[in-house]
Amino acid sequence: MEEQVLYFVQQLLNGLTIGSTYALIAIGYTMVYGIVGMINFAHGEVYMIGTYVAFIVIAGLTFLGLESLPFIFMAALLVSMMVAATYGFAIERVAYRPLRGQPRLLALISAIGMSIFLQNFVRLAQGSRDIAMPSLITGRWTFGSPDTFEASLSYMQVIIFIVTLVTMGALTLFISKSKWGRACRSCSQDLGMTNLLGINTNNIIALTFVVGAALAAVAGLLLGMYYGVVNPYIGFIAGLKAFTAAVLGGIGSIPGAMLGGILLGTTEAMTSAYFSSEYKDVVAFGLLILVLLFRPSGLLGKPEVEKI
Amino acid sequence: MNFKKTLLGLGVSALVLGATAAQADIKIALAGPVTGPVAQYGDMQFTGAKMAIEQINKAGGVNGEKLVGVVYDDACDPKQATAVANKVVNDGVQLVLGHLCSSSTEPASDIYEDEGILMITAASTSPSITEKGYQLIFRTIGLDSLQGPFAANYIISDIKPLRVAVIHDKQQYGEGLATSVKGELDKAGINVVMFEGVTSGDKDFSALIGKMKKEKIDFVYYGGYHPELGLILRQSSEKGFDAKFMGPEGVGNPDITAIAGEASEGLLVTLPDSFEKDPKNAELVEAFKANNEDPSGAFVFPSYSAIQIMADSIKAVGSVDTMKMAEHMRANTFATPTGDLAFDAKGDLKKFQFVVYNWHKDGTKSAVK
Repeated sequence: MEEQVLYFVQQLLNGLTIGSTYALIAIGYTMVYGIVGMINFAHGEVYMIGTYVAFIVIAGLTFLGLESLPFIFMAALLVSMMVAATYGFAIERVAYRPLRGQPRLLALISAIGMSIFLQNFVRLAQGSRDIAMPSLITGRWTFGSPDTFEASLSYMQVIIFIVTLVTMGALTLFISKSKWGRACRSCSQDLGMTNLLGINTNNIIALTFVVGAALAAVAGLLLGMYYGVVNPYIGFIAGLKAFTAAVLGGIGSIPGAMLGGILLGTTEAMTSAYFSSEYKDVVAFGLLILVLLFRPSGLLGKPEVEKI
Repeated sequence: MNFKKTLLGLGVSALVLGATAAQADIKIALAGPVTGPVAQYGDMQFTGAKMAIEQINKAGGVNGEKLVGVVYDDACDPKQATAVANKVVNDGVQLVLGHLCSSSTEPASDIYEDEGILMITAASTSPSITEKGYQLIFRTIGLDSLQGPFAANYIISDIKPLRVAVIHDKQQYGEGLATSVKGELDKAGINVVMFEGVTSGDKDFSALIGKMKKEKIDFVYYGGYHPELGLILRQSSEKGFDAKFMGPEGVGNPDITAIAGEASEGLLVTLPDSFEKDPKNAELVEAFKANNEDPSGAFVFPSYSAIQIMADSIKAVGSVDTMKMAEHMRANTFATPTGDLAFDAKGDLKKFQFVVYNWHKDGTKSAVK
């Protein structure tokens, strides 16, 4: 009996880990959708670039002989957030702003083009092979006895939870309390009216991309350190899963993205645990279809009329 | 008007000249992944093939003509492989070395057979490739149907595990191998507790590992490639799951150590014999090293042999007549760096030896059987 409980807890922890990083990436999709009403398909690629930058920083600092783990972690976090934010800004400027006011399909195609461009650009610059990095943070806590079932929680998993929670908290505060956040909310309610009221909506849209990209870089660093490998194609699957999480929770809603990410991650883990890992995508996407059938705007999404 | 006609005439004659200039060489398409996650296996194939071409040309070419290798990138993607095959047809190339991944070789081989192009793969091990009664499709490597039972035999007689998990990546190569291993283990009465597929490209295997831990698995056979197995090994050691792992040649390259680090110690891999260790091949190994190339990949020597067999057959037949070459290949035995090779009616090697290796955390390997 105790064994079953431990096993359940173990799989729940596994699901929460992967789910919280889905959530971090999903926020980028949901914020952009909430304000401009388009899907930024290049977002997964920003996550991939964030992982690469984090790897380069970590490798560089280790090479220089620095050993302070917290310093390396913070440096990698800051640099990858900054580089990814620059990419986010540039992507918006190059691929989406010129198409503002055009039919939405154009921006969507431009997004897919941007995604393919970035993937191949990184492939050419970094090579297409898996680049691996040894684990910086090792060690784990274990519960239960090895005779029945021993659940384990690694330090890295705990770091993922903590960083995700802190980031989410900071974002929520930023959106609900700050002047910029208020402008963001205003834009998502009515872009034209916000403009009339004297807020430069172009800047706010650029800010959305920058914040989303920085969060994707956080996920990139965390997952990069957790799995220890990166290749130019990781953005596609991660982006797809995060997009699913955003839709599941209600695209356009930030708490929805968090809920959707966690839900998707735990569903996947539980399917692998009690059914078969072959079916984890089937069940996860089946859940998405079910939710959309009964709540077309997602779990926490507000039902609303089509935006213009 | 006249000027335009002259230009046109010049253009046409240039084309004709170009075509004749190309005729003087014998082109061989080298098809495999230059890009994509398994590009390093493509490198092995290209390294071996290019060395063979270089040495044959240095020795005077084939019937006075030079061999030219043209690289085509299929990225180990079946869709791109058919595009490559069509391009090979359009380019008028008669000989193909490749492809690498079985899932790419299979659709491409249909096109080659239809168009009278002779293909030798030095890496694809799926049995179904040579099961269609094709005349022009050959391989210089062993089959999964040999490798699977070979691995299973070793598991049954030497490891004697109690609870086994057979995991695969749901692709033709990996699932084929996994199914064959599971079949043999079942026959021998070994308890295969789990038989599951993972998604290739996935990064998180924690749920699967948790399940294997709960099931008290003591031996895992993985059918697939190194990116996924590397992560499974790494995450297993992080989660305190310490079963013995075994995989096919698709996992056996130094990248698995780069990904899994110390967790790759003790991994068992079935690979073709290390031809670079054979004293007979010492001279060839030196030639690779002189070019700054690594001769130790599993597909380097089979690729070399494939090119050599093509060259020998052209010499014997007198021209690049693929049907006659195929007949010659089936009727004769070829002395190559991978041994004396002879083909059966299906185009497979009559004999091919696999070896079980123990993988080490520094990326080297030692033979255990």
